[in-house]
Amino acid sequence: MNTFYKLATLTLMMTLLAVSAFAQEPVPATALANLTEGQGVVASSGNQAWDGLSEFVLIPGASLMGASSTTTALYIGFTGGSEADIGNMVLYETPRNGSTVLKVTKVLLGGSASPSINLTSTSVCPIQPVSATNPCIVRLDTVKLALSPLDDYYFTVYFTLDTNNEKISGLGQSISPGALSGWFLYGDQTRVGVKGALPTNENNDQAPFFLAYITNQ
Amino acid sequence: MKTIFKLATLTLMIFAVSGYGFSASKAENLVRGIIGPVSSNVSWSGYTVIAQVPGAGLIPVTSTTTVFYLGFTAGAEADVSNMVLYTTARGSSTITAVTPVTLGGISNPMIDLASATVCPVIEISSFNPCIVRLDPTKITLSALSDYYLAVFFTASDSNNSSIGLTEPQFQQSSLRGTYISGDETRLTVGATIPSSLSFSGQPYSLMYVMTN
Repeated sequence: MNTFYKLATLTLMMTLLAVSAFAQEPVPATALANLTEGQGVVASSGNQAWDGLSEFVLIPGASLMGASSTTTALYIGFTGGSEADIGNMVLYETPRNGSTVLKVTKVLLGGSASPSINLTSTSVCPIQPVSATNPCIVRLDTVKLALSPLDDYYFTVYFTLDTNNEKISGLGQSISPGALSGWFLYGDQTRVGVKGALPTNENNDQAPFFLAYITNQ
Repeated sequence: MKTIFKLATLTLMIFAVSGYGFSASKAENLVRGIIGPVSSNVSWSGYTVIAQVPGAGLIPVTSTTTVFYLGFTAGAEADVSNMVLYTTARGSSTITAVTPVTLGGISNPMIDLASATVCPVIEISSFNPCIVRLDPTKITLSALSDYYLAVFFTASDSNNSSIGLTEPQFQQSSLRGTYISGDETRLTVGATIPSSLSFSGQPYSLMYVMTN
Protein backbone atom coordinates (compact mmCIF):
# COMPACT_ATOMS: atom_id res chain seq x y z
CA MET A 1 0.00 0.00 0.00
CA ASN A 2 2.89 2.33 0.83
CA THR A 3 4.27 1.81 -2.67
CA PHE A 4 0.87 2.70 -4.13
CA TYR A 5 0.77 5.99 -2.18
CA LYS A 6 4.34 6.78 -3.22
CA LEU A 7 3.55 6.16 -6.85
CA ALA A 8 0.46 8.35 -6.59
CA THR A 9 2.50 11.13 -5.02
CA LEU A 10 5.12 10.87 -7.78
CA THR A 11 2.38 11.04 -10.44
CA LEU A 12 0.85 14.07 -8.74
CA MET A 13 4.18 15.86 -8.63
CA MET A 14 4.76 15.15 -12.33
CA THR A 15 1.26 16.42 -13.14
CA LEU A 16 1.82 19.60 -11.18
CA LEU A 17 5.18 20.16 -12.89
CA ALA A 18 3.64 19.63 -16.31
CA VAL A 19 0.74 21.98 -15.57
CA SER A 20 3.18 24.53 -14.22
CA ALA A 21 5.31 24.30 -17.37
CA PHE A 22 2.34 24.81 -19.68
CA ALA A 23 1.12 27.66 -17.51
CA GLN A 24 4.26 29.66 -18.39
CA GLU A 25 2.58 30.72 -21.65
CA PRO A 26 1.19 34.22 -21.25
CA VAL A 27 -2.57 34.14 -20.86
CA PRO A 28 -4.02 36.00 -23.85
CA ALA A 29 -6.69 38.56 -23.24
CA THR A 30 -10.01 37.31 -24.55
CA ALA A 31 -10.24 38.36 -28.16
CA LEU A 32 -13.34 39.90 -29.63
CA ALA A 33 -15.08 37.22 -31.68
CA ASN A 34 -18.30 37.04 -33.64
CA LEU A 35 -20.68 34.45 -32.25
CA THR A 36 -22.57 34.41 -35.54
CA GLU A 37 -22.28 36.30 -38.81
CA GLY A 38 -23.67 39.79 -38.43
CA GLN A 39 -24.83 42.31 -41.01
CA GLY A 40 -22.37 43.37 -43.66
CA VAL A 41 -23.76 46.40 -45.44
CA VAL A 42 -25.69 49.30 -44.02
CA ALA A 43 -28.70 50.06 -46.17
CA SER A 44 -31.10 52.14 -44.08
CA SER A 45 -33.91 51.35 -46.47
CA GLY A 46 -37.45 50.30 -45.70
CA ASN A 47 -37.66 52.05 -42.36
CA GLN A 48 -41.05 53.19 -41.11
CA ALA A 49 -42.06 55.10 -38.00
CA TRP A 50 -40.99 52.87 -35.14
CA ASP A 51 -43.20 54.32 -32.42
CA GLY A 52 -45.19 51.51 -30.85
CA LEU A 53 -43.42 48.76 -32.82
CA SER A 54 -41.41 45.77 -31.67
CA GLU A 55 -38.68 44.20 -33.73
CA PHE A 56 -37.85 40.50 -33.48
CA VAL A 57 -34.47 39.26 -34.67
CA LEU A 58 -33.72 35.58 -34.98
CA ILE A 59 -30.23 34.53 -33.88
CA PRO A 60 -30.16 30.92 -35.05
CA GLY A 61 -28.32 28.33 -33.00
CA ALA A 62 -27.57 26.57 -36.27
CA SER A 63 -25.44 29.53 -37.31
CA LEU A 64 -23.23 29.81 -34.22
CA MET A 65 -19.58 29.59 -35.16
CA GLY A 66 -18.07 27.81 -32.20
CA ALA A 67 -16.54 30.74 -30.35
CA SER A 68 -16.84 29.70 -26.74
CA SER A 69 -18.17 32.45 -24.51
CA THR A 70 -20.15 32.76 -21.32
CA THR A 71 -21.34 36.22 -22.31
CA THR A 72 -23.08 37.71 -25.31
CA ALA A 73 -22.89 41.28 -26.55
CA LEU A 74 -25.59 42.66 -28.85
CA TYR A 75 -25.03 45.73 -31.00
CA ILE A 76 -27.87 47.81 -32.43
CA GLY A 77 -27.42 50.36 -35.20
CA PHE A 78 -29.15 53.66 -35.96
CA THR A 79 -29.00 55.72 -39.13
CA GLY A 80 -31.31 58.58 -38.18
CA GLY A 81 -33.23 60.32 -35.42
CA SER A 82 -32.26 62.24 -32.33
CA GLU A 83 -33.45 59.98 -29.54
CA ALA A 84 -34.55 56.36 -29.40
CA ASP A 85 -36.89 55.57 -26.54
CA ILE A 86 -36.93 51.88 -25.76
CA GLY A 87 -39.76 50.41 -23.72
CA ASN A 88 -38.15 47.04 -23.09
CA MET A 89 -35.57 44.60 -24.48
CA VAL A 90 -35.38 40.83 -24.02
CA LEU A 91 -33.68 37.80 -25.46
CA TYR A 92 -36.03 34.85 -25.93
CA GLU A 93 -34.64 31.32 -26.10
CA THR A 94 -36.58 28.64 -28.02
CA PRO A 95 -35.79 25.15 -29.32
CA ARG A 96 -34.04 25.20 -32.69
CA ASN A 97 -36.59 25.99 -35.39
CA GLY A 98 -39.30 26.10 -32.74
CA SER A 99 -41.41 28.93 -31.34
CA THR A 100 -42.10 27.94 -27.73
CA VAL A 101 -40.23 30.13 -25.28
CA LEU A 102 -37.85 28.23 -23.00
CA LYS A 103 -36.28 31.18 -21.26
CA VAL A 104 -36.46 34.98 -21.23
CA THR A 105 -33.36 37.04 -20.47
CA LYS A 106 -33.49 40.78 -19.91
CA VAL A 107 -31.26 42.90 -22.12
CA LEU A 108 -30.04 46.19 -20.71
CA LEU A 109 -28.24 49.36 -21.70
CA GLY A 110 -26.56 51.24 -18.88
CA GLY A 111 -28.31 48.88 -16.50
CA SER A 112 -31.79 49.71 -17.80
CA ALA A 113 -34.12 47.65 -19.99
CA SER A 114 -35.93 50.85 -21.01
CA PRO A 115 -33.18 53.29 -21.92
CA SER A 116 -33.47 56.50 -23.90
CA ILE A 117 -30.57 56.62 -26.36
CA ASN A 118 -29.41 60.12 -27.20
CA LEU A 119 -28.34 59.82 -30.83
CA THR A 120 -27.15 63.45 -31.02
CA SER A 121 -24.61 62.96 -28.23
CA THR A 122 -21.04 62.45 -29.41
CA SER A 123 -20.38 60.25 -26.40
CA VAL A 124 -23.01 57.85 -27.75
CA CYS A 125 -22.54 58.41 -31.48
CA PRO A 126 -19.06 59.85 -32.10
CA ILE A 127 -19.70 60.91 -35.70
CA GLN A 128 -22.52 63.39 -36.12
CA PRO A 129 -25.00 63.60 -37.64
CA VAL A 130 -26.00 59.97 -37.64
CA SER A 131 -26.75 58.70 -41.14
CA ALA A 132 -26.49 55.63 -43.36
CA THR A 133 -22.94 56.75 -44.13
CA ASN A 134 -22.14 57.24 -40.46
CA PRO A 135 -24.32 54.78 -38.59
CA CYS A 136 -24.30 54.86 -34.82
CA ILE A 137 -23.63 51.43 -33.40
CA VAL A 138 -24.64 51.07 -29.78
CA ARG A 139 -23.27 48.19 -27.74
CA LEU A 140 -25.82 46.97 -25.24
CA ASP A 141 -24.74 45.71 -21.84
CA THR A 142 -23.15 42.29 -22.00
CA VAL A 143 -25.70 39.56 -21.36
CA LYS A 144 -24.53 36.79 -19.04
CA LEU A 145 -25.67 34.02 -21.30
CA ALA A 146 -23.75 31.44 -23.32
CA LEU A 147 -25.54 30.91 -26.61
CA SER A 148 -26.04 27.23 -27.41
CA PRO A 149 -26.07 25.81 -30.94
CA LEU A 150 -28.92 23.57 -29.77
CA ASP A 151 -31.32 26.52 -29.30
CA ASP A 152 -32.52 29.58 -31.19
CA TYR A 153 -32.62 33.09 -29.78
CA TYR A 154 -34.85 36.06 -30.57
CA PHE A 155 -33.70 39.53 -29.63
CA THR A 156 -36.81 41.65 -29.20
CA VAL A 157 -36.88 45.39 -28.69
CA TYR A 158 -39.98 47.50 -28.15
CA PHE A 159 -39.92 51.16 -29.17
CA THR A 160 -42.16 53.29 -26.99
CA LEU A 161 -45.15 54.97 -28.59
CA ASP A 162 -43.76 58.53 -28.72
CA THR A 163 -42.76 61.22 -31.20
CA ASN A 164 -39.01 60.58 -30.91
CA ASN A 165 -39.45 57.08 -32.22
CA GLU A 166 -41.40 58.36 -35.23
CA LYS A 167 -38.12 59.73 -36.58
CA ILE A 168 -35.54 57.08 -35.81
CA SER A 169 -34.27 54.67 -38.43
CA GLY A 170 -32.24 51.50 -38.21
CA LEU A 171 -29.40 50.29 -40.37
CA GLY A 172 -31.45 47.64 -42.18
CA GLN A 173 -32.59 46.20 -44.40
CA SER A 174 -29.16 45.18 -45.46
CA ILE A 175 -28.55 43.08 -48.54
CA SER A 176 -26.03 41.06 -46.54
CA PRO A 177 -27.82 40.08 -43.37
CA GLY A 178 -25.34 37.41 -42.39
CA ALA A 179 -27.18 34.78 -40.40
CA LEU A 180 -29.70 37.23 -38.96
CA SER A 181 -33.29 37.79 -39.95
CA GLY A 182 -35.90 40.06 -38.47
CA TRP A 183 -39.45 41.28 -38.59
CA PHE A 184 -41.63 43.71 -36.69
CA LEU A 185 -45.06 43.80 -35.12
CA TYR A 186 -47.22 46.45 -33.50
CA GLY A 187 -47.33 46.60 -29.75
CA ASP A 188 -45.02 45.50 -26.97
CA GLN A 189 -43.92 41.97 -27.90
CA THR A 190 -41.34 41.71 -25.14
CA ARG A 191 -43.72 40.30 -22.55
CA VAL A 192 -44.12 36.73 -23.77
CA GLY A 193 -43.45 34.38 -20.86
CA VAL A 194 -41.81 30.97 -20.62
CA LYS A 195 -43.90 28.33 -22.46
CA GLY A 196 -45.58 31.10 -24.45
CA ALA A 197 -45.41 31.05 -28.24
CA LEU A 198 -43.60 33.67 -30.25
CA PRO A 199 -45.57 35.19 -33.13
CA THR A 200 -44.94 33.86 -36.60
CA ASN A 201 -42.36 35.55 -38.76
CA GLU A 202 -44.26 36.65 -41.85
CA ASN A 203 -41.43 38.62 -43.43
CA ASN A 204 -39.32 35.55 -44.16
CA ASP A 205 -35.57 36.00 -44.12
CA GLN A 206 -35.38 39.78 -44.35
CA ALA A 207 -32.44 41.46 -42.69
CA PRO A 208 -33.17 43.04 -39.33
CA PHE A 209 -33.40 46.83 -39.00
CA PHE A 210 -31.56 47.38 -35.75
CA LEU A 211 -29.58 44.36 -34.56
CA ALA A 212 -26.25 44.43 -36.36
CA TYR A 213 -23.72 42.21 -34.60
CA ILE A 214 -23.50 39.53 -31.93
CA THR A 215 -20.12 39.05 -30.32
CA ASN A 216 -18.65 37.50 -27.20
CA GLN A 217 -17.95 40.87 -25.53
CA MET B 1 4.46 10.89 5.88
CA LYS B 2 1.67 8.44 5.28
CA THR B 3 -0.86 11.23 5.58
CA ILE B 4 0.96 13.24 2.92
CA PHE B 5 0.92 10.25 0.58
CA LYS B 6 -2.78 9.75 1.21
CA LEU B 7 -3.56 13.43 0.62
CA ALA B 8 -1.54 13.33 -2.59
CA THR B 9 -3.47 10.28 -3.76
CA LEU B 10 -6.79 12.01 -3.02
CA THR B 11 -5.71 15.13 -4.92
CA LEU B 12 -4.65 13.02 -7.89
CA MET B 13 -8.02 11.27 -7.94
CA ILE B 14 -9.82 14.64 -7.89
CA PHE B 15 -7.67 15.82 -10.85
CA ALA B 16 -8.44 12.63 -12.74
CA VAL B 17 -12.20 12.83 -12.15
CA SER B 18 -12.46 16.54 -12.99
CA GLY B 19 -10.36 16.05 -16.14
CA TYR B 20 -12.72 13.31 -17.26
CA GLY B 21 -15.73 15.54 -16.61
CA PHE B 22 -14.34 18.44 -18.68
CA SER B 23 -13.39 16.16 -21.56
CA ALA B 24 -17.03 15.53 -22.57
CA SER B 25 -17.26 17.08 -26.01
CA LYS B 26 -19.69 19.89 -26.65
CA ALA B 27 -21.83 19.97 -29.77
CA GLU B 28 -20.68 22.65 -32.22
CA ASN B 29 -21.87 23.50 -35.69
CA LEU B 30 -19.61 22.36 -38.52
CA VAL B 31 -21.56 24.41 -41.04
CA ARG B 32 -24.39 26.87 -40.85
CA GLY B 33 -27.47 24.68 -40.55
CA ILE B 34 -31.11 25.31 -41.29
CA ILE B 35 -32.36 28.62 -39.99
CA GLY B 36 -35.88 29.72 -39.15
CA PRO B 37 -39.23 28.05 -39.69
CA VAL B 38 -39.69 24.98 -41.87
CA SER B 39 -42.56 23.71 -43.94
CA SER B 40 -43.52 20.13 -44.69
CA ASN B 41 -42.96 18.12 -47.85
CA VAL B 42 -44.72 14.75 -47.82
CA SER B 43 -44.62 11.31 -49.47
CA TRP B 44 -41.08 10.00 -49.90
CA SER B 45 -41.49 6.32 -50.69
CA GLY B 46 -38.90 5.31 -53.29
CA TYR B 47 -36.98 8.59 -53.23
CA THR B 48 -33.43 9.44 -52.25
CA VAL B 49 -32.85 12.81 -50.64
CA ILE B 50 -29.37 14.16 -51.23
CA ALA B 51 -27.95 17.04 -49.22
CA GLN B 52 -24.74 18.81 -50.06
CA VAL B 53 -22.37 19.89 -47.29
CA PRO B 54 -19.94 22.19 -49.08
CA GLY B 55 -16.37 22.23 -47.86
CA ALA B 56 -16.36 25.95 -48.56
CA GLY B 57 -18.98 26.41 -45.85
CA LEU B 58 -17.16 24.66 -43.03
CA ILE B 59 -16.69 26.54 -39.79
CA PRO B 60 -13.13 26.02 -38.50
CA VAL B 61 -14.08 23.70 -35.66
CA THR B 62 -11.93 20.60 -35.45
CA SER B 63 -13.70 17.29 -34.95
CA THR B 64 -12.94 13.67 -35.75
CA THR B 65 -16.64 12.87 -35.87
CA THR B 66 -19.54 14.36 -37.78
CA VAL B 67 -23.14 14.14 -36.66
CA PHE B 68 -26.08 14.64 -39.01
CA TYR B 69 -29.54 15.62 -37.82
CA LEU B 70 -32.62 14.77 -39.88
CA GLY B 71 -35.94 16.63 -39.59
CA PHE B 72 -39.40 15.09 -39.95
CA THR B 73 -42.71 16.91 -39.95
CA ALA B 74 -45.32 14.15 -40.46
CA GLY B 75 -45.88 10.42 -40.39
CA ALA B 76 -45.73 7.56 -37.92
CA GLU B 77 -42.66 5.69 -39.16
CA ALA B 78 -39.86 6.43 -41.59
CA ASP B 79 -38.35 3.36 -43.22
CA VAL B 80 -34.83 4.00 -44.45
CA SER B 81 -33.16 1.47 -46.75
CA ASN B 82 -29.71 2.98 -46.74
CA MET B 83 -27.72 6.08 -45.80
CA VAL B 84 -24.26 7.06 -47.00
CA LEU B 85 -21.97 10.04 -47.13
CA TYR B 86 -20.22 10.64 -50.45
CA THR B 87 -16.99 12.62 -50.54
CA THR B 88 -15.87 14.48 -53.66
CA ALA B 89 -13.13 16.99 -54.31
CA ARG B 90 -14.41 20.53 -53.85
CA GLY B 91 -16.55 21.47 -56.83
CA SER B 92 -16.21 18.03 -58.40
CA SER B 93 -18.92 15.41 -58.80
CA THR B 94 -16.61 12.39 -58.86
CA ILE B 95 -16.91 10.34 -55.70
CA THR B 96 -13.65 9.75 -53.85
CA ALA B 97 -15.00 8.01 -50.76
CA VAL B 98 -18.22 6.45 -49.54
CA THR B 99 -18.85 6.35 -45.80
CA PRO B 100 -21.78 4.48 -44.25
CA VAL B 101 -24.07 6.54 -42.05
CA THR B 102 -26.04 4.78 -39.34
CA LEU B 103 -28.73 5.19 -36.73
CA GLY B 104 -28.65 2.80 -33.81
CA GLY B 105 -25.75 1.06 -35.51
CA ILE B 106 -27.55 0.23 -38.76
CA SER B 107 -27.81 1.91 -42.16
CA ASN B 108 -31.42 0.84 -42.72
CA PRO B 109 -33.26 1.96 -39.59
CA MET B 110 -36.98 2.24 -39.04
CA ILE B 111 -37.55 5.53 -37.26
CA ASP B 112 -40.58 5.51 -34.97
CA LEU B 113 -41.88 9.05 -35.30
CA ALA B 114 -44.82 8.32 -32.99
CA SER B 115 -42.53 7.51 -30.07
CA ALA B 116 -42.00 10.22 -27.49
CA THR B 117 -38.47 8.94 -26.90
CA VAL B 118 -37.63 9.65 -30.56
CA CYS B 119 -39.76 12.77 -31.01
CA PRO B 120 -40.35 14.45 -27.64
CA VAL B 121 -43.17 16.66 -28.90
CA ILE B 122 -45.98 14.55 -30.33
CA GLU B 123 -47.70 15.07 -32.75
CA ILE B 124 -44.92 16.20 -35.03
CA SER B 125 -45.62 18.99 -37.50
CA SER B 126 -43.88 21.83 -39.28
CA PHE B 127 -44.27 23.80 -36.02
CA ASN B 128 -42.85 20.93 -33.95
CA PRO B 129 -40.46 19.14 -36.26
CA CYS B 130 -38.89 15.95 -34.96
CA ILE B 131 -35.12 16.20 -35.15
CA VAL B 132 -33.41 12.81 -35.26
CA ARG B 133 -29.71 12.67 -34.43
CA LEU B 134 -27.91 10.00 -36.43
CA ASP B 135 -24.94 8.11 -35.04
CA PRO B 136 -21.66 10.03 -35.11
CA THR B 137 -19.88 9.29 -38.37
CA LYS B 138 -16.14 8.81 -37.99
CA ILE B 139 -15.01 11.34 -40.54
CA THR B 140 -13.25 14.66 -40.27
CA LEU B 141 -14.78 17.04 -42.78
CA SER B 142 -12.19 18.86 -44.85
CA ALA B 143 -12.52 22.29 -46.40
CA LEU B 144 -10.92 20.82 -49.52
CA SER B 145 -13.81 18.41 -50.14
CA ASP B 146 -17.54 18.49 -50.65
CA TYR B 147 -19.86 15.98 -49.02
CA TYR B 148 -23.22 14.57 -50.03
CA LEU B 149 -25.49 12.87 -47.51
CA ALA B 150 -27.81 10.46 -49.34
CA VAL B 151 -30.79 8.84 -47.62
CA PHE B 152 -33.02 6.40 -49.50
CA PHE B 153 -36.56 5.91 -48.21
CA THR B 154 -37.76 2.37 -48.93
CA ALA B 155 -39.87 2.05 -52.08
CA SER B 156 -43.46 0.73 -52.16
CA ASP B 157 -43.71 1.41 -48.46
CA SER B 158 -46.96 2.79 -47.08
CA ASN B 159 -45.21 4.34 -44.06
CA ASN B 160 -42.97 6.37 -46.30
CA SER B 161 -45.95 7.53 -48.34
CA SER B 162 -47.13 9.42 -45.28
CA ILE B 163 -43.94 10.87 -43.91
CA GLY B 164 -43.14 14.55 -44.15
CA LEU B 165 -39.62 15.96 -44.32
CA THR B 166 -38.57 19.42 -43.26
CA GLU B 167 -38.32 21.94 -46.09
CA PRO B 168 -36.61 25.19 -45.09
CA GLN B 169 -38.33 28.50 -45.73
CA PHE B 170 -35.26 30.69 -45.26
CA GLN B 171 -32.33 30.64 -47.65
CA GLN B 172 -29.52 31.43 -45.23
CA SER B 173 -28.03 27.99 -44.66
CA SER B 174 -24.75 26.68 -46.09
CA LEU B 175 -26.51 23.40 -46.86
CA ARG B 176 -28.05 22.63 -50.23
CA GLY B 177 -30.14 19.71 -51.35
CA THR B 178 -32.42 17.95 -53.76
CA TYR B 179 -34.06 14.58 -54.32
CA ILE B 180 -34.20 11.89 -56.99
CA SER B 181 -36.39 8.86 -57.66
CA GLY B 182 -34.78 5.49 -56.90
CA ASP B 183 -31.94 4.34 -54.70
CA GLU B 184 -28.90 6.57 -55.26
CA THR B 185 -27.09 5.40 -52.15
CA ARG B 186 -25.24 2.59 -53.93
CA LEU B 187 -22.81 4.70 -55.92
CA THR B 188 -19.18 3.67 -55.57
CA VAL B 189 -15.82 5.41 -55.64
CA GLY B 190 -15.17 6.74 -59.14
CA ALA B 191 -18.86 7.16 -59.96
CA THR B 192 -20.36 10.63 -60.19
CA ILE B 193 -23.13 12.43 -58.35
CA PRO B 194 -25.97 12.41 -60.93
CA SER B 195 -25.51 15.42 -63.20
CA SER B 196 -29.25 15.91 -63.44
CA LEU B 197 -29.34 17.03 -59.83
CA SER B 198 -29.42 20.70 -59.02
CA PHE B 199 -28.36 21.78 -55.58
CA SER B 200 -29.78 25.26 -55.91
CA GLY B 201 -32.32 24.79 -53.13
CA GLN B 202 -32.22 24.05 -49.44
CA PRO B 203 -32.07 20.39 -48.37
CA TYR B 204 -35.00 18.22 -47.44
CA SER B 205 -34.67 16.68 -43.98
CA LEU B 206 -31.01 17.45 -43.24
CA MET B 207 -31.11 20.19 -40.61
CA TYR B 208 -27.73 20.38 -38.92
CA VAL B 209 -24.21 19.06 -39.24
CA MET B 210 -22.41 19.15 -35.92
CA THR B 211 -19.45 17.78 -34.02
CA ASN B 212 -21.66 15.83 -31.64
